This record gives sequence, structure tokens and C-alpha cells, in this order.
Amino acid sequence: MKRVVAVLLATLVGSVAAVAQQPCLVVGMIIGGTKDDAGYNQSQYEALMALKDKMPCVKILFAENVPEGDAEAVLENMIAQGAKLLFPAGFGYMFPALNLAKRYPDVVFMHPGGYMLAANFGTYFSNVQFAYYVLGVAAGLMTKTNKIGFIGGLPVAFVLGNCNAFHLGARAVNPNVETVFVVTGTWLDRAKEVAATQALLQQGCDVIGSHLDSPIAVAQTVEAAGAFFVGYPSLAVQKFAPNAWVSGLGLTWGDFFVDIAQQVLNKTWKSAHIRKGLEAGFITLGEFGPRVPEEVKAKVLEYAELLKAGKIEPFAGPIYDQAGNLKIAAGEAWGALDMGKFDWLVQGITGSPK
Amino acid sequence: MNGDWFLSWISGAILYAAPLLYPTVGEVLGQRTGMVNLGLEGLMLLGASTSFALSVRLGNPWVAVFLGAGVGLLANLIYAFLVVKRNASQLATGLALMFFGLGVSALLGKPYVGQMAAALPKYPLLGPRSLLFRYDLLVYVAFLLAALAWVFLFRTRWGLQLRAVGENPAHAYAAGISPARVRLAAACVVGFLAGLGGAQLALGVTQTWSEGMTAGRGFIAIALVIFSRWNPLRAIVGAILFGGAVVLQLQLQARGIGISPFFLDMFPYVLTLFVLLLWGRGVRHTAPASLGRVYFGTEERGG
Amino acid sequence: MDKNRLAAGSFRLLLHVVLIVGVFALFLWANGKDPIQAVRDTVRINLLQWRGLWGVMVRMAPLLLTALAAAFPFRAGLINVGGEGQFFLGALLGTWAALNVPGLPQWITVPIVLLAGAVGGGLWGWIPGLLRARGWVNETISTLLLNYLAPLIVGYFVFGPWRAPELAIYPQTPEFPDVARLPALGTTRLHVGFFIGLLFLFAYWFFIHKTRWGLEMRSVGGNPEASRRLGVPVSRWVVLAMVLGGAMAGLAGIAEVAAVHYRLKLAISPGYGFMGFLVNWLAGSNPVGIVLMSFVVALIASGGFTLQITQRIPYAAVNVLLALILFVVLAKPASGILAKSLARRWKA
Repeated sequence: MKRVVAVLLATLVGSVAAVAQQPCLVVGMIIGGTKDDAGYNQSQYEALMALKDKMPCVKILFAENVPEGDAEAVLENMIAQGAKLLFPAGFGYMFPALNLAKRYPDVVFMHPGGYMLAANFGTYFSNVQFAYYVLGVAAGLMTKTNKIGFIGGLPVAFVLGNCNAFHLGARAVNPNVETVFVVTGTWLDRAKEVAATQALLQQGCDVIGSHLDSPIAVAQTVEAAGAFFVGYPSLAVQKFAPNAWVSGLGLTWGDFFVDIAQQVLNKTWKSAHIRKGLEAGFITLGEFGPRVPEEVKAKVLEYAELLKAGKIEPFAGPIYDQAGNLKIAAGEAWGALDMGKFDWLVQGITGSPK
Repeated sequence: MNGDWFLSWISGAILYAAPLLYPTVGEVLGQRTGMVNLGLEGLMLLGASTSFALSVRLGNPWVAVFLGAGVGLLANLIYAFLVVKRNASQLATGLALMFFGLGVSALLGKPYVGQMAAALPKYPLLGPRSLLFRYDLLVYVAFLLAALAWVFLFRTRWGLQLRAVGENPAHAYAAGISPARVRLAAACVVGFLAGLGGAQLALGVTQTWSEGMTAGRGFIAIALVIFSRWNPLRAIVGAILFGGAVVLQLQLQARGIGISPFFLDMFPYVLTLFVLLLWGRGVRHTAPASLGRVYFGTEERGG
Repeated sequence: MDKNRLAAGSFRLLLHVVLIVGVFALFLWANGKDPIQAVRDTVRINLLQWRGLWGVMVRMAPLLLTALAAAFPFRAGLINVGGEGQFFLGALLGTWAALNVPGLPQWITVPIVLLAGAVGGGLWGWIPGLLRARGWVNETISTLLLNYLAPLIVGYFVFGPWRAPELAIYPQTPEFPDVARLPALGTTRLHVGFFIGLLFLFAYWFFIHKTRWGLEMRSVGGNPEASRRLGVPVSRWVVLAMVLGGAMAGLAGIAEVAAVHYRLKLAISPGYGFMGFLVNWLAGSNPVGIVLMSFVVALIASGGFTLQITQRIPYAAVNVLLALILFVVLAKPASGILAKSLARRWKA
């Protein structure tokens, strides 16, 4: 009843004068980098903007380049301005956000990739590792040297998982493929990424994948060398490697953010670990590049469909690590919430997981 | 195979060294006049950001590179004014300049993040097919410049005057050299070369702009100046060693030899400290005596 | 005389403030922002609300101590630009203590952890102190170099032996036990580290001005040759001043980890060491000045986030504002007068 009155009143006020419109919900987001990095931070920000587009009554509070030590203060600042839904959109913000969640039980926190929950603190992420398997399939079909390369920022579980998936996908269609893995030691050092790419190319790798904040420099280096490139985490990187482009993955959370905002408004939101993939639009497979043959496209799309339908398990055992130890037993398969457990690389990958 | 490996290592090391060499050579000249500039990082960022933006706008990378370097020069005039005219503390001014460059380059570069710019053309040494030694002209120029700076510093009268100011401004003044004018000129060179280094990094190496993309290279350049003991030729060795360490670490990884990246990254700094220690007292003779001190015309004092 | 100078100093400071705020307002206005609203937002959220004020004070805490890291050596005529590295080493050793001290009550554990942090920073100050005292390497150069090494050492431990197994995604150490954490004031975020900073500022003032040791140290800074002739152990003071400075930065590092992050990781400092150097420089190594200047720097940093949220002004503008302030102050070395006259008043 109250709500009906409120809606009526709101319509009345709204129609009389469009001034001082109360937002239906205040949503805040902080990120650790800049919002237009053609990478991870951009994908978070684009989702926020998509939310704004689809629900114009939402008021957006946003801050970038927030150091982890400042996260609590900045988020609290947003709460002071009426935020009821917060996206602390960086992995390092998990603990500060959890602290705040305790103190503000009426504010909902959604954290990307975290592994902890609270009554008002949930997490979300795309099943990137599973989707990366599809890019691996593409790489396995495209390589002429049977050597593919992967560049990571830091040797952490998600990165190792993506490299493993890339390798397993390629092996699924081409048993002769070897993968070379290199880390730069930092998420953003473009010149070092160029050097890492060159090291891989000189090793004979001719398809390059990566997990960095933004792989623009990698894309351009691969393009100049005439090799092949797969993009992640934003499809915006395609234009930097027009000829080298095979395909790519983009993190796409816009519709999901709208759902969450609706749930918060309707008070139906519940804390959970939400991990979805290609099937739910949490991650999107990009279009193919000009040098990709039709039969390769068909094969890749076939694998994508199988994955969406849950008919293939990329991390189904038996899977051995580099030293030959059985890591995933036959009949077992790792799921979305196991992706934080990788501290090893699959047999056939050259490189160090440490 | 082994020869191959060495070629690809040296090829990577040279590419990594070039954008470090510009600010290092500039800072060698600057410190030879007695000025430490901790703002190199900011100057490089300004050069990178403005040259990238201009290349997007104008479509001509050469014009953009030189205008970007010019912006570095202009920004360093702030440093020159404060240090030379207002006798301000060099270290504080340098740090302020770093914050200035960090902020202004981010604001100026914001609209150009994720854009494409005309890059500097490559001139491959081993023919168009090879991936090795594919450099833009500014890579070659960097090494030539270091050699020229050495000639200038140790074989010309101007170089002598410049060093005299760094050793003892009061004596230089007595000998009819204006320390202020020499330092102003040196500051212009520092700004221009640091800007050029940033511009080469953005338009020659990475071909993109992103906030803070120099990733500490301005500070590494200062370490290289010390490593080279204020000698532009040794700066070449230092820059190649540094670039070589980074590239070697990446290549070892690609060959399955894993060393903690943190360990190999420590190597250049430990080496620099070691070199300083090894030369012990000798360093005091090669280091410009008035380095970091404020010159008031008649007296000197710490600052 | 004093009064006149104070008046002159205040006037100059006022002029500087007007100039800086004016330039920055112009800059905002040129970018299509409302400068008056910007100032209003900053003041309202960061000063007039307790929550905001606590936030500013939390950010001040490490600055108070990293400023002291530059202040102690400065009094002995040394320039310590190594606060950043000493901050990291302090965090490293303090973390080692926090994760290895067996189940003791908080009132014993916290001092042990803080002491370990101070030792770590002190050690990182001892190296350049020794090198300088022996006449081998200038302390400005060595502290700069050690700044690069410290985060790499922390990185090695955080990614290697100390890495918490459950945090494979984001390398950091296991969480500090509750007894090793710095307590906060009631339910606020304001932690004890802030008061430790104030305490050491007082200790610094007392040491420098009220003890014979302080006198000796200052004499080393003033005229080392004459001090040597008078029998002051110059090299010992050079080493000690660097150790004391390093210990302050180390304390800042472990306090930040034990009060804000609860675990060691690479992202613990947005340049606190360098900012502390600037704060000390702006304050002329005066304790009251250090409090004021770290307040100003912390307010600007907090305000930067406020303005990003309310006015959509990019955070990079904060760096520009900080630089503008420094440039204006640097251009007029006489502004140290205010700090001096304040110091005189403080003494009287």
C-alpha cells in the first residue's frame, strides 16, 4: 500500500515538475585503475553505465584509481551520500568491503571474484577460464608452428587457470600443441608486455593469448609480427590487431547489474557466489578476424555451443601438472568455484607457475 | 641455436634500453651541473601523453614526438625557475614535478586512452622478414646521442664549463662562467630528453597511452645515472644491462626456467649499490661536488 | 619583531593559499566544473562530518611518521629520501612478528609487532647511514636505491614463502591474529597509529630541543667539522639519525598494515614515504608544522575522492593541486617563516 502511494506521489510530483527527482537507488562503484583502459576496469565501468542506461532512475557514484588502503573511506563516503548498492570492483577491495558490510547491514555489496560471503555481501564473476577454453580451441586450429603463447600479469590462480584452459582447449583439437607461459610481474607495464610478447614470438609461438589489465601493447606487437592474437578481457582491443585477430572474450555484466539493482529495489536480493559464463551473457565471444577460415569458425562455435549446453567440461580429469602429478583424477571435474585453486600448470606448458 | 638466443636477447635489451637512455643521458648532463631532478618520471609521462595525443590529432608521429619532447622541456622550466632562480630545494622541487607530470599527463591523456595513433616507422636491420632488430629511428639515435653527450662533456670547452659549474659554482663564477645560465641550459636539455624518452616509449615501443605508463622508468633512469657514475658512455652499458636483465628474465621463463621475477628485478639495483661500494671513495671524485646543493652566488648550503 | 614576522608570515601564507585556490578554481572552472561547490563538498564531507574527519585522520597517521623519517636525519644534516623503502621493510619485519608471536595478550603483542616494524625500518636506514658515515656513498643516492629494493623484497615474500594458501588469486600473507592488530577508537576507523604518530612527534620535539643528545645531533647537522673538534662523535650521530628516521618510517609501515590492511601485500602505500618527505619539507622539520601539513595533504587526498564522486573531477587533479601548492611554496622560500614563528610561540 505504502509503495503504491509512493509511486502515485512520485508520478504526480514528476509530472508537475521534473525538478529534484529523487533517485530510486543510489549505486556506487570504485575501481583500482582508470575507466577507459580497454580492459578489466573498462568492463566494470561499462556494466555500470549499462545499468544507468537501462534504469535511468538510478543515481551513479563512481571513483577510479582508489588505492586499497583508501577503499573503506571512499566507500563509506558513498554510503554517506545514500548508496544502497556498492560494487567494490577490484579484488583487493574484498576485505575493506567486508569490514564495511558489517557496519552497514542495510547496504548491499557485490564483489567481483571474491571467495567470502556475508548476509549483505555477495560475489559475482564470469566463468572466464571455461570460456578461455574456446579461445584455446581457436588457437589450436590456427597455429602453424604448433606453439602458442600466453602472457600473464602475475602468476595468480585466475591467470594460471586461463593459461591452463587455453592449453587444454588447443590440445582438444590439436594434440601436438605446446604452450609457453610468461608473466611480466605487474598488471600494467606496457613496454614490458612488448618485451614479453617478443620473447614468445621469437620462441616460435604464433598465437598469443593474455591475461593483463589491458593487452593493447601485446595486440599491436603481435599484429606487427604477422602472428595471431586472441583478446581478453575487453573486445575493445580488436581494433589494435585487425589482421592478427582470431577472436576474443569480453566481460559483459550490464544486464546482470540491472538484475541486481532490481533485486535490491524489490528487496529480493540474496547473498550468493554468482558465477556464470557464455550461456548467461556474463562473458561474450567476439567476432572472428579476417584470416580465420570458415571451418575453424564452425568448429569454434560448435565448442562454444557445447560449453553453453554444459556438454563439455574443460577441467575434467585426468589432468596432470608439469611434473606429471595427477591433479584432477579421472571422473572428477573442477567447477567454477575451484578456479581459485590453481597453483600449477598443465603438462605440456612451458613456464613457471610461481 | 645458441647464437640465435643471444641475438634475440640483445635485440630485446636494446629496445628496452632506448627509452631509458634518453632521460639517463639528460640527467647525466643535469647532475654534472649539480642538479638532481627526481621529476624525470613526471617529465617522461608528459612527453608520452602529449606526443601520443598529438599523434592522434595530427597523424604525424615525428611532429608529435618533437612537440612532446618540447612539452617536457617547458615543464622542466618550472624546475629550472624554482631551483636556479628561487634557490628552492632540488629534491622537493623534483618530487613536486613528478606529481605535476603524473596529474597533468593523466588529465591531458584521458580522451586518448584506448585510441590509436600513428606510430614511428620501423627500420629493420636484418631485412623486413626478421623479427629481430626492428627499431624506429629514435632507438638508433639514443645510442648516438649518448656518445655525442660524452664527446660534448669531456672533449669540448662547453662540457668543461658545465662540469666546472657542477664541481664548484663559486669557482666557475669567478672564472667568468654564469652558473645560473649553464644550469638553465642543462635543465632545458634534461626536460627535452626526458620528454623524448617518454614520447619514444609511447609512439615507438608501446604505441598506446595509459595513465602512469612509464611505470617507474624515470626513477630507474636516476639509478642508471648513479650506476654510470655520471658518464654517458657507461650509461649505455647500464641501460643495456638493465634492459638485458628484464628481457633475460622473460626469455628464461619462456624456456621453462623459472626464477622469481622479484629476484631478477632486484639485480640492477643491487649491482648499482655494489658498484658504488666498490668504487668507495673514488665515487666522491666522479660525483659532481655540488650535487643537490643550493647555490646562492657566494655560498652553498644543503637543500 | 616576532609578532611582525608572524604577521608577515601569516600574510604570505594567506597570499599563497589564495593564489593556489585561485589557480585551481580557475582550472576547475575551465573544465566546466563548479569550484565553489567543489570546496563546499570537500569541507562538508571531510571536515563537518565525523566520519569524514576520521578518514582524514586515518590518512594522516602514516604521514606523521614518514615525515619524522625525514625530520630526524634532516636535523643531523642528512637527506633521507628513503622513507618509502623503510616503510615497506618495517611492514615486512612487523608482519613477520605478527604472524609468529605465540598467543600473548594484545597489550604485549602489539608493542612487539610495532617494535619489529621499527627495527625493520631502522635497519633499512642503518645501511645508508653507515655508508655515509664511512664516507662511501651519499645517503640521498643510497636511500633512493634502497627504495626500489624494498617492495621487491616484500614481493618475494608475499608471492613466495609467506603466501596465504587460500589466497591463490591475490597473493598476500595470512591475516593478522586479532591480538596483533592496532585497536581503533570505538566503532570509528581512527586507529591508535594516529596517536602513536603524535606521541613520537612530541618525543621528537623533546629529544631535539630538550636533551643534550638533540643538541649534539643538531650541532652535527650545523657544522660537522666544529662538532668533531669539540669531541662530538659525528659518525655515530650520522648513523643514529638515519636509524631513527628509518625506524619512524618502519613504524608507519607496520602501523598501516596492522591497523588498515591486517595482512601484508604489495599495495600498502600510495607513496606515503615520498609524501612524508614533502610534508617534512613543507613543515621545515617542525613538529607542529608536520601535523598541519600532513593534515593539509590528507585533506586534499580525501577531497580528491569526494570531488571525484560528487563533481566527477578525475583523481589526477589532486596530483596537480598538490604540485601547485608545492610549486608556490617552493617559489618563496621565505614562507618557512610561519613555521619558525609558530615554533617560537610553541616554545614560549
